[in-house]
Amino acid sequence: MNTSVTSIKLVLLGEAAVGKSSIVLRFVSNDFAENKEPTIGAAFLTQRVTINEHTVKFEIWDTAGQERFASLAPMYYRNAQAALVVYDVTKPQSFIKARHWVKELHEQASKDIIIALVGNKIDMLQEGGERKVAREEGEKLAEEKGLLFFETSAKTGENVNDVFLGIGEKIPLKTAEEQNSASNERESNNQRVDLNAANDGTSANSACSC
Amino acid sequence: MLSPERRPSMAERRPSFFSFTQNPSPLVVPHLAGIEDPLPATTPDKVDVLIAGTGMVESVLAAALAWQGSNVLHIDKNDYYGDTSATLTVDQIKRWVNEVNEGSVSCYKNAKLYVSTLIGSGKYSSRDFGIDLSPKILFAKSDLLSILIKSRVHQYLEFQSLSNFHTYENDCFEKLTNTKQEIFTDQNLPLMTKRNLMKFIKFVLNWEAQTEIWQPYAERTMSDFLVEKFKLEKPQVFELIFSIGLCYDLNVKVPEALQRIRRYLTSFDVYGPFPALCSKYGGPGELSQGFCRSAAVGGATYKLNEKLVSFNPTTKVATFQDGSKVEVSEKVIISPTQAPKDSKHVPQQQHQVHRLTCIVENPCTEWFNEGESAAMVVFPPGSLKSGNKEVVQAFILGAGSEICPEGTIVWYLSTTEQGPRAEMDIDAALEAMEMALLRESSSGLENDEEIVQLTGNGHTIVNSVKLGQSFKEYVPRERLQFLFKLYYTQYTSTPPFGVVNSSFFDVNQDLEKKYIPGASDNGVIYTTMPSAEISYDEVVTAAKVLYEKIVGSDDDFFDLDFEDEDEIQASGVANAEQFENAIDDDDDVNMEGSGEFVGEMEI
Ligand SMILES: Nc1nc2c(ncn2[C@@H]2O[C@H](COP(=O)(O)OP(=O)(O)O)[C@@H](O)[C@H]2O)c(=O)[nH]1
Ligand SMILES: [Mg+2]
Repeated sequence: MNTSVTSIKLVLLGEAAVGKSSIVLRFVSNDFAENKEPTIGAAFLTQRVTINEHTVKFEIWDTAGQERFASLAPMYYRNAQAALVVYDVTKPQSFIKARHWVKELHEQASKDIIIALVGNKIDMLQEGGERKVAREEGEKLAEEKGLLFFETSAKTGENVNDVFLGIGEKIPLKTAEEQNSASNERESNNQRVDLNAANDGTSANSACSC
Repeated sequence: MLSPERRPSMAERRPSFFSFTQNPSPLVVPHLAGIEDPLPATTPDKVDVLIAGTGMVESVLAAALAWQGSNVLHIDKNDYYGDTSATLTVDQIKRWVNEVNEGSVSCYKNAKLYVSTLIGSGKYSSRDFGIDLSPKILFAKSDLLSILIKSRVHQYLEFQSLSNFHTYENDCFEKLTNTKQEIFTDQNLPLMTKRNLMKFIKFVLNWEAQTEIWQPYAERTMSDFLVEKFKLEKPQVFELIFSIGLCYDLNVKVPEALQRIRRYLTSFDVYGPFPALCSKYGGPGELSQGFCRSAAVGGATYKLNEKLVSFNPTTKVATFQDGSKVEVSEKVIISPTQAPKDSKHVPQQQHQVHRLTCIVENPCTEWFNEGESAAMVVFPPGSLKSGNKEVVQAFILGAGSEICPEGTIVWYLSTTEQGPRAEMDIDAALEAMEMALLRESSSGLENDEEIVQLTGNGHTIVNSVKLGQSFKEYVPRERLQFLFKLYYTQYTSTPPFGVVNSSFFDVNQDLEKKYIPGASDNGVIYTTMPSAEISYDEVVTAAKVLYEKIVGSDDDFFDLDFEDEDEIQASGVANAEQFENAIDDDDDVNMEGSGEFVGEMEI
């Protein structure tokens, strides 16, 4: 068993109805890698992916619809290590919004956040839908801002896994140890308290290193 | 017992995607807001409950209702979450102060703000700070904590310990009048006093059952009780009532004080040698965001920047400022700060809470327990130059809490004193802290080493640090650099120690009888403003009472059972249930664990 697991908080951003939730659904319910079922916590969806002997555990924060009326909370971006900024290739407005979200992330989120720009719904182009955002436009924005770039279809599953693999690969392998030591340091310095670890003898899981 | 009017639960109202109870084997993908069915792009036409204001009580209520299966529309007239519980940046505070002084934020008055030029255009940016409008601490054994675990909202948050509770006495930060009588922590404490203290602690852990002891004092003050019944002296009495009990004045009644002292003691050592916790990045502002997110996941619709204009109780239609409307089949719940224009039913907010929030350019680490970044300082009645009658509480947060940058600290001072005296008391407390801090930083004084170990695992109950002792005469050369000072008066309907009682919410409930012609708020229910209480204790009570009004019973209030196969979380849930059981009786805390803890305190 591989013991080095890197946990990554990944947030989804983008205009309502571009397919954010569908991408997550596709990703977590696919037979992906040699992985088991996704695990469901009340807080976020989690999915483990093994990349080169190294396990990345994505903690995926969907917007829960809070983006629909411009109501995302600062807590949402906080400490996110990765973000998918999604737009719909058939909706130019959603690409303008994507720029806005990239800017917002650079202002609000941690400096070294890995952002993937994702043009979704490419299946619609085969079905006679008209492309309104050129692939080059997406590529250009990604290059300017240093983002990963993908075009996907949550419907057919095309490229969806690659988005997450791409992010997983950008997390350097050594980050695992770094992260562990960093978070250990943080715990001793900042006395982070795990609310699941009460001293009443019921919590035998104090050794967990998730 | 389910009451007959009880509304159907989520499970009954919605086709089950996956049954947890029947089949606890691996989940695939849950029914999620927006995952299974795309969410509509417009706000709903019809909801069960409309909530205006995203403060703590409203947010906890929204989450409880969403998970119960109610269709909730949750709005806020502000462009941020939190309302009366918000955590704001410096720029947001500037706007807020202007709004208060224009009279457009009700329940707040007399806001005065100073911001150093170092913030914004200099060394620090507005966003480096997260200032709570009503800061709170979380006791390790409390209703809210068990709900945080059950709802898993705690997974959105980070908590840190708070172990230092200082008492200021005798015109100086000498710990107490006579350091030899420092409560618990001094080996020189006379044997007799120690015995009396221990006797009291054993009693207080199970006080309700021992009516013969406290009933005769039920209508008298706590200090009479401690002095007469337990032969305790002023230093212990003060520390028990003010530092441990966090009470506001000497007139506190016996049952209230006992309950508050026990709150500290039973919370101690639940997660470690400290009684309370603070959330990182902000207090109630952060928690309300967490509960709102949870509610959204449970299906609630969120809309900020939305103001209620009126509610028509006959047609049950609520109208908003942007012209949109929604039909509300059950109840409209509003925070007093979100009351529509021409409202006539807002409950009277007759109690003042005076607050002063300062950001100081000084790390002040001397005041924190090692590794921590939070402390409480309590100024008991009569301890300040101003001759204060009410306590001034100062809640201190450092950079480790991520609400302010390295090298700075936030002081939240507040008092329950009413009227102009309050500001004098707060100013006196500020001056005392300033002086103490300057002495501290110049002297590099070490924390006191004399500590009696009280529990089996070597932890002390009270870890009060002597601040600046013996530097009473020291006159500092430097002055403290204040980056920010915000003074304001907040109004609330909840008196100090006031328990939110159900009848409060009946103000508008006598249906047509109480409708006022032309009022924009006939038939709505108002929530309570935060009181002066520094803990979250009132929040759950208020949310639960409102929940019961809406659903018909509070039996399934946060009756969530997140089962999943994530090992870690599964054990977390088991633990949460245990924990719940331990405090289920609310005021009647299960004494098994705590009894042991007393037993080990051999003297
Ligand atoms: N054709 C097509 N439809 C999609 C795709 N992804 C999502 N959708 C549809 O777009 C709508 C909105 O998707 P959703 O995931 O709820 O978007 P969100 O609001 O960004 O989370 C739904 O009706 C989806 O079925 C895609 O790749 N192709
Ligand atoms: Mg969605």
